[in-house]
Amino acid sequence: MDQRIIYKNDDDTISIIIPADCGLTIEEIAAKDVPTGKEYWIVDKSEIPTDRTFRDAWTWQ
Amino acid sequence: MSVNINADTTNGLVLTSDTSGELKLQSAGADIATVNSSGITMAAGKVISNSGISSYTDSDALTLFNASGSAPVYACRAWASWDINQTILGSGNVSSITDNGVGRYTVNMTTAMPDVNYSITALGGDDSTSQIGIYTGNNTHTPLYTTSSFRIATSNYSGSFQDKDYNHIAVFR
Repeated sequence: MDQRIIYKNDDDTISIIIPADCGLTIEEIAAKDVPTGKEYWIVDKSEIPTDRTFRDAWTWQ
Repeated sequence: MSVNINADTTNGLVLTSDTSGELKLQSAGADIATVNSSGITMAAGKVISNSGISSYTDSDALTLFNASGSAPVYACRAWASWDINQTILGSGNVSSITDNGVGRYTVNMTTAMPDVNYSITALGGDDSTSQIGIYTGNNTHTPLYTTSSFRIATSNYSGSFQDKDYNHIAVFR
């Protein structure tokens, strides 16, 4: 899939879910794999920076 | 109506035909099974013998997996391989990989394990340095093990989190 699911952690860092080819839709994967109660955003893969030098400092506005 | 293939006790093979698209297998004029676009349906009281299936034994499984000796075989229940570009190269029973930061991941399984007592084997590797990453548990954000997910981390030799060119996991239970 060319989409990613983003959610914020309690310490304001972000986690990015990379969907596998498992037969589930991106929405089904979000419902299953985003921690309960967390707001999430489905974005295009191209929106994720490829330079991970400062990955741990990434935030989501 | 249907196409009938009848094993008659007097005339042997008896065929009748129409254009219904349905096929009936008969014995002595009695329906045994019906085949149509939906599949195969057994007639009332008729069964598919499962003697062949039920006769499989543990030793058959060992032969199937080319395993010598008598020790039992336990199959891999989930696996995944992904690279430093956060691209999943292949997987089985894995719905997603969560990138939690440099060298930290959550593996989410499509179908959960029966309990949390499963075993994980994991390996990470670098193209450039030929170093092998050591995977350790990491529970910064969520529980380390649940029936449907687990967290892993990749680090360098000094113990700092580090992305690896290739990451591989397999789950056994």
